[in-house]
Amino acid sequence: MAGQIKRMIDAIIEQRAKGDPLIRIMTKSKLLLRGVDPDRFNRNSADDPQVVATIRAIAAELGTPLELGEEKG
Amino acid sequence: MPIATAFSTKPLPDLVADLKSQCICGPPRAVVFFASSHYEPQALSQQMQAAFPGACVVGCSSAGEIAAGRMMSGSVVAMFFGPDVVEDAAAEVVGDLESEPRVAEAFAEFERHFQTPVSQLDIRKHVGLVLVDGLSGREERLMEKIGSGTDVFFVGGAAGDDLRFQTTHVFAVGKAHTNAAVLLLLRLKRGFEILKTQSFKLTGKRLLATEVDEARRQVLQFDRQPAVEAYAAAVGVPPEQAAACFMRHPLGLMVHGEPFVRSPQRVDGLSIVFYCQIKQGMQLEVLEGTDIVADTRAAIERQMTAMGTISGLIDFHCILRTLQLRDEKRCDQYGAIFSGIPAIGFSTYGEEYLGHINQTSTILLFR
Repeated sequence: MAGQIKRMIDAIIEQRAKGDPLIRIMTKSKLLLRGVDPDRFNRNSADDPQVVATIRAIAAELGTPLELGEEKG
Repeated sequence: MPIATAFSTKPLPDLVADLKSQCICGPPRAVVFFASSHYEPQALSQQMQAAFPGACVVGCSSAGEIAAGRMMSGSVVAMFFGPDVVEDAAAEVVGDLESEPRVAEAFAEFERHFQTPVSQLDIRKHVGLVLVDGLSGREERLMEKIGSGTDVFFVGGAAGDDLRFQTTHVFAVGKAHTNAAVLLLLRLKRGFEILKTQSFKLTGKRLLATEVDEARRQVLQFDRQPAVEAYAAAVGVPPEQAAACFMRHPLGLMVHGEPFVRSPQRVDGLSIVFYCQIKQGMQLEVLEGTDIVADTRAAIERQMTAMGTISGLIDFHCILRTLQLRDEKRCDQYGAIFSGIPAIGFSTYGEEYLGHINQTSTILLFR
């Protein structure tokens, strides 16, 4: 399977930013500082279970539910 | 004057009266101060709060201070915020950093004070200051918890102790704390800007952290090679000379084209211990030092042009930069950059902006 990580990252950023470009940049920065580079993943990126687990943990702390973003794929 | 600044080198209790005599903005809403670790922390915090009973008074110990266009040591510097700048202020202490930082409890108190959840505050009108025990090693986790709970910017620094590396303190509402952080949340009348500036250029060489011990801020391997060997090869020296290159060649995590500097602290066997965390899988640029004074002056001038008027600024200035400036005998030149601006600052054991960073001037500017 591929593309789940990209969908999860997009879901976090969109839910957090709610259309505010400043918060969009800020959220991407926070992900980078937590070791997840949003630009390193695309729709073809493999679903690395370790990365998926890391992003799930970040999403839980940020209060951004991922189910919708994951199901879209 | 909406913001006033002060400094003093007098002993307690005369110091507090001296600072207060320089507070020309009327009764302040908030007071921020940075103090040499030579001052007795509990007495200092208690006397500072007593001198300004109607204000939120917070601060921390330092490893050098900045005020009045000068870099100093052995002093206390203070900034006083009048009601023309700060509409409202509240301070909270996050204690027991060694366990999971209980930021949510502090945010609940802020919600009670501001009558709005911190997650819903206007991020263009509110800004937070974070001052944290600089020897706790918990700055990253603290900033992650803050950043999870709100999009309000929290900027600040890790407290110092004049390079003794024994105990650092943060001060809030009359008490001094260790193993703790102080959060000051401000609602501003005219807004703010944040300037993070560092004096490095990219070398074009990169290192991928392939094995790390995050909790110890240690990198065991870059590019699947022992960290020291990979780093030394990247900067072009034999491994035994790697440590001599740390100050001039830290590493940078690139965030939107800007390096978030991770400074190597020491060699430990074949690994390298850093002053802040590097996560497994992080791609890092090898940096090369440039001119701190010229770069900072240019950055401040650009910012002043963009903002028009600056009411005041706080400079969270990495101790590694201070040490370099002392070595180059350029402290006077650096301090002079802030002449004519109500400015204070201190030499930190790390700066806080979205995360924990090194070798920057992270500056909060008030409109």
